[in-house]
Amino acid sequence: MPNAAATVERTGRSAVVKLHGDLAVSTSRDLYGQLKGLCRHRGIREITIDFAEAGRLDSSGVAVITLFERQLQRAGKHLALEGLGDAHKAAMALRPAPDQPQEPVEVPSPLEVLGDKVLTLKDGAVELAGMLSETIRQGVAVLLRRKRLPKGALVTQLALMGSDGVFIVGLLSFLLGMTMALMGALVLRQFGAGSFVADMVGLSMVRELGPLITAIIVTGRTGAAIAAELGTMKVRSEVDAIATMGINPARFLVLPRLIAITLVVPALTLLAMGLGVFGGMVVASLGHALPMDAFWGRLLERVTLWDFIHGLGKSVLFAWIIGLSGCHLGLRAGGDASAVGAATTRTVVSSIFFIIIVDAIAATISTILRFS
Amino acid sequence: MSGEVLGDVLVECRKVSVGYSDVPVLKDIDLTIKRGEIVALLGGSGCGKSTLLRCITGLLPPLSGEVLLLGKPLYELSVDDRNLLLRHTGTAFQQDALFGSMSVDENVGLALRELTNLPEPVIREMVRMKLALVNMSGVEAREPASLSGGQRKRIALARASILDPEIIFCDEPSAGLDPIVAAGIDETLLKFRDALGISLVVVTHELESIKAIADRAIMFARGGIVAQGTIAELSESQDEAVYNFFHRVAPGHEHADTQASAR
Repeated sequence: MPNAAATVERTGRSAVVKLHGDLAVSTSRDLYGQLKGLCRHRGIREITIDFAEAGRLDSSGVAVITLFERQLQRAGKHLALEGLGDAHKAAMALRPAPDQPQEPVEVPSPLEVLGDKVLTLKDGAVELAGMLSETIRQGVAVLLRRKRLPKGALVTQLALMGSDGVFIVGLLSFLLGMTMALMGALVLRQFGAGSFVADMVGLSMVRELGPLITAIIVTGRTGAAIAAELGTMKVRSEVDAIATMGINPARFLVLPRLIAITLVVPALTLLAMGLGVFGGMVVASLGHALPMDAFWGRLLERVTLWDFIHGLGKSVLFAWIIGLSGCHLGLRAGGDASAVGAATTRTVVSSIFFIIIVDAIAATISTILRFS
Repeated sequence: MSGEVLGDVLVECRKVSVGYSDVPVLKDIDLTIKRGEIVALLGGSGCGKSTLLRCITGLLPPLSGEVLLLGKPLYELSVDDRNLLLRHTGTAFQQDALFGSMSVDENVGLALRELTNLPEPVIREMVRMKLALVNMSGVEAREPASLSGGQRKRIALARASILDPEIIFCDEPSAGLDPIVAAGIDETLLKFRDALGISLVVVTHELESIKAIADRAIMFARGGIVAQGTIAELSESQDEAVYNFFHRVAPGHEHADTQASAR
C-alpha cells in the first residue's frame, strides 16, 4: 500500500476521515494539511478517523494524528478513532502523555547578558593572569635548572612554528618590498626624489611592515594551530590527564610554545625585513629609480640601530600576544568540537586586534621619544 | 521508514574481512541478522567488533567480501543509493556523538529536517514522542553539554530511532554508566524492539546487559567468530575465549573445568 489518501465524508456536523494506504513520512505532510483544514472548518464538531483501510502507521503518522487531536481539543471539537488494527494500536501507544511539562527556558534580560559578558571577561582576565604568572614561575624554575622542559618539546615547536613559516613569510615580505618600491618610485620620481625610495622601503620594512606582516602570518598559522591543538586536548580531557599525573600544564604545554614563539617571531621578522628591503632594492634598480649600491648606501645612512631595536622589540611583544592568546583561549575551550573552532577564531581575531593596538602605542611612544 | 525494504534478513556479511591499511582485524566473517532480533556482538577489547560495526554501517569498506544491508550490496551502491539505504538504519555511537552546537530538539530532529519535507509542528511532535520513548521528555531546549552521560546516551538513541529505522546499531550503549542507568538503557532498547519492531545490533562488554536484552550473541576472538548462539548456549561453551568472557577469567588462567579434570 504505497500512497496514503484520506477521503472525508460529511454528515451534518460530523465528518468521517477514511484513511487509505500507509501513513509514513512520504504521505504525512499531505495528511497533515488535510486534517488541519478540517480542524478549521466551523461547521464540523465531531470527527472520526477510520483506520480500517489504513496500512502501516509510522512515527510521523502518529505525530500528525496526535497534533490533530490536540488542535481539535483546543477548538472544543471531538475526535474518535475507529477500525484500529493491532499494529495501529501499538504505534498509537507511543504517544507521550499530553500534559508532560516542558522545562522552562529562561530568557535573560539585556542587562543580564551584559553582566554575563563582563563577568566572563573578568574571569578570562583572571585566568590569563594566573596562567601567565604560573608560566613565568615555571620558566624561572627551568632557567635555574630546578625543573626541565618536556624532552624534545622545544625543538618540535621551533620546527613547527619556524621552519614551516620561512617560505611564506619570506615570499610575502619580498613581494611587499617590491610593491612598495614600485609605488614609491612612481610618486617620488615626479618630484625628483627617486633616491628616497630607499628611505621609504628601509624604514617601513624595518620599523613597521616587517614585524607586522610576520605577526599577522604567524597569528594565522601558529596562533590558530596552538588554540586548535590545546582546545582539542582540553575537549578530550588530555589536559586533565596531564594535571592528574601531577605534571604542571603550564610547564608541559604553555612554556615550550611561548619560548619557541619568542624565538621564532623575531627570527622571521629579521627575514621579513631583509627580504622586504631586498625586494625594494631589486625593483628600484630595475626601474632606474636608484642603483643597488646607491640604495644600499642610502639605507645604511637612514636606517639606524634604534630602528632595528624598535622593530625587533615589537616582534617580541607580538610573539607573546600570539602565544598567550593561543594557549589561553585553547585551554579555556569548552566541552565540544564547536568550542575548538570558537577558540581558534577568537585567537586570530584577538591576536590581530592587540597586535595593532600595541603597534600603534609603540609607534606613538617612539615618535615622542625621537622628537623630544 | 520501515517496511519499504522487504525480507527477513536485515544484515548479511559474506566472507567479510575488515581492518585498517590492508591489515585485517577480522577475517572471512559470515553472519546474518534477522528482523526482530537483538544480537550482541561480544569480544575482548581490540578484537574488531566495533570495526565490523563500522563496516556494516557504511563507514569502513571491507578489505574483502560482501556486506548486504536489507538485501542490497552496501558497498556496490552509488553514494546516493547507499545514503538512501542507510536511512533505514540508525546508529548510536559509543561517545554519543551529539552535536554540541545544537539543542536536543535540533539533534534528535536533524534527519527529519534534512531529509524530509514534513511540517515543523509534525517534526517537533515526533521529537517529543521519541524523547518520551527514551524517558527524556521535556529537555528539547537543553544543550547536550548540560546533560549527564546517561541522558546523552538516551538522546543519542532517540536520534538513532527518529526515522523509524528497521535496525539500530549501538556501540557500547551502556559503557561507563552506573548499573541503574545501564538497566534503563537496556529497557529502552527492549522497548525499541517490542514497540517499534526495530532490530538491534549491540556491541557491548556488559554481561548483565547481554543477559537482559540479547536473543543471540556472536563472540569474536582470534580474528574471527569463535561462537554464536543464544546466551544460554554461549555460557555453556567450552571455547577458551567464550568461557573466559562469560566467567570473567583473565587470559592465561586455566578455567575451573580444566583444572577439575586435571585433578
